[in-house]
Amino acid sequence: MTDLSDSLALAASGMRAQAARLRLVSENMANMDTPGFRRKTAAFEQVMNSATTSGLVKQGDVRLDKSQLPKIFDPAHPMSDAGGYYEGSNVNLIVEMADAREAQRSYEANLKMFEQTRKMSSAVLDILRR
Amino acid sequence: MDISTQFAAQGYGAAKPVTEPQEGQSLATATQQFADVLQQGEEAAMKAVTTGTDPHALVEALAQSELAVQTAAAVRDKVVGAYQEILRMPV
Repeated sequence: MTDLSDSLALAASGMRAQAARLRLVSENMANMDTPGFRRKTAAFEQVMNSATTSGLVKQGDVRLDKSQLPKIFDPAHPMSDAGGYYEGSNVNLIVEMADAREAQRSYEANLKMFEQTRKMSSAVLDILRR
Repeated sequence: MDISTQFAAQGYGAAKPVTEPQEGQSLATATQQFADVLQQGEEAAMKAVTTGTDPHALVEALAQSELAVQTAAAVRDKVVGAYQEILRMPV
């Protein structure tokens, strides 16, 4: 029974990680037009349990995208410099959309694993009831 | 009839080591684990309602406790059923 309950915990950790990823994506999307905003990214990493891997996944440290901020020409903008340019954000809408869709698919996969584990454990207990 | 009873006895003998308690696993520890799982579920539910922790922990804890309760109920039914079967035996 420990394997089945472990699978439940693993699937839940996967769902939690994907939810955290979607949170970063929505933060990036919301700040798409914020001047000087750098896109936030985070890699997933394994949860270490006293030097052994537990198999659980979690979101790593949040890093900023180091790529060049685009220069936007708008002399009327309050943050524009002497030449009339200001720095926009380096968020790419297409990339964020793709990331969000990928997070959704991975979340669904983890959800299916969760459901299947529950079904399997219920099925094996049904044998006892007969 | 004779063959089938022999098979049943052999099958029981083969299956017996599987159900024997292993080293350091008694009924008390199993019951303690069951109580722990239930308590974790209750704590997660309370936290989700009061402080609003993430729903994944709640769902996981509740699924674990559901599994534990199902196991306990199934085992109890089986044990009670076995006793009733013995009591029904004509003496």
